[in-house]
Amino acid sequence: MADASIEFKGSSFTLSVLHLRTSNLADIRADLVKKVAQAPDFFYLVPLVVSIEKLESSVDYQAVKTLIEEFNFVFVGFTGSVVKEQRKRIRELGFSFVNTAKTNTAITNTTKINTSEKTATADKSVVTETKTIAVPPQCNLYTDKVHRGQIRSGQQIYAKDQNLVVIGSVSAGAEVIADGNIHVYGSLRGRAIAGAKGHHKAQIYCQNLEAELVSINGNYWLSESMEQNWGSPVYFHLTDSELTSSKLI
Amino acid sequence: MARIIVVTSGKGGVGKTTSSAAIGLGLALKGHKVVLIDFDIGLRNLDLIMGCERRVVYDFVNVINGEATLNQALIKDKRVSSLSILPASQTRDKDALNKENVGKVLEELGQSFDFIVCDSPAGIEAGAMMALYYADEAIVTTNPEVSSVRDSDRILGMLASRSRRAELGLEPIKEHLLLTRYSPKRVEEGEMLSVEDVEDILSIPLIGVIPESQAVLKASNAGEPVILDTESDAGQAYQDVIERLLGETVAFRFLNVEKKSILSRLFGG
Repeated sequence: MADASIEFKGSSFTLSVLHLRTSNLADIRADLVKKVAQAPDFFYLVPLVVSIEKLESSVDYQAVKTLIEEFNFVFVGFTGSVVKEQRKRIRELGFSFVNTAKTNTAITNTTKINTSEKTATADKSVVTETKTIAVPPQCNLYTDKVHRGQIRSGQQIYAKDQNLVVIGSVSAGAEVIADGNIHVYGSLRGRAIAGAKGHHKAQIYCQNLEAELVSINGNYWLSESMEQNWGSPVYFHLTDSELTSSKLI
Repeated sequence: MARIIVVTSGKGGVGKTTSSAAIGLGLALKGHKVVLIDFDIGLRNLDLIMGCERRVVYDFVNVINGEATLNQALIKDKRVSSLSILPASQTRDKDALNKENVGKVLEELGQSFDFIVCDSPAGIEAGAMMALYYADEAIVTTNPEVSSVRDSDRILGMLASRSRRAELGLEPIKEHLLLTRYSPKRVEEGEMLSVEDVEDILSIPLIGVIPESQAVLKASNAGEPVILDTESDAGQAYQDVIERLLGETVAFRFLNVEKKSILSRLFGG
């Protein structure tokens, strides 16, 4: 039996990675001061992973942790492709070691964006870089399944590994399901289930909300929760695993 | 080529048979050769509404099974000679029909008639599917209430996916919305869905709005299709449906509450 009060689930998040290029703590501190001064609010309480991959000599791990916590980062752990023994030692010291995702294809975009920043600070000891860890494989792979015309009561349309675009209305008693997003360019009166295979970034858009049920990644609302935006153009998305609706216009 | 028109609804009791009878007779009155087929095997009603129940010798199932020829089973209407009725069997059930043989009968009828009007049974089972399978056009009969609209929506889905035209990838069945038992007064009071509401949900073109009328029940019991009652609003509304089916543009009537004139108020008219 599963525990009723808690549940463990794997999820993927975007985390900032701090690449160390020196083990000299004074240098790191000096560059951190400059960096954080540029945007203090942006860095405040940001979860941070520290990469030791580019270090040539060993560093005082505890001191690094204390240092970055001084700057109000939330220390997550160390990362980098290092020898097994070093990884083991880090863990023995009581720090977690975070492995980056093997599939780097989806990461390319985010790293590219930061390239300019990286070159600008290349001569410095600190490089901040955004890295996506454990990207869900279906991301960015979605194409569209387009349905023209009304989806009638009793009909069910499933866009497997695709987004679903309905040019028409979805009648009461009809069901539209997609592993990606759902767009209804008409009235949504039936049920709409997006992110059916588990995709927390899936969204549902409709021109006129009169739905029986909307669900994203297993989080659902019945029509009684939709009173606020009833009859308006609306989209649904997840914020912190909570289903949220917003007006389209 | 005969036009095969199915009168269907999904829901029962909304006025399919009444409408089939009125439309069949109305088209015949315009000089077209029309055959009315009762697909409601086991619940034979069309012959009652048409007033020919005493003249039924052979029925649709007999023809399907080769026990009678079409000419033996067809009943010629006594009022209009260009109208014939193919009654349903009362003693059999809906499984007595099969696609292949129904197709053959329709083909044979198509050679001598201009219009084949199929009165569908309620539901979405084999009987209703059989009635709509060969259709070129569908008159979706709907009452202005949510359950009827929902069932009509379901049937529209079937028309688009389960008909011969859908299976062969031909031009889809032409859909018409026929709103029956419409009461403008109750719409005004918010008790009934309006024409606009139903059109919005079903989004198919409107072919007619038949007002709720005492004349319909009277006509059914007398075996005289209500279209013959030219004085009644329902009869006139069906006349308009015929005009529209034949391609005429006719303004919709009986959509608003009639304002009583001072005279009729005074004299309680």
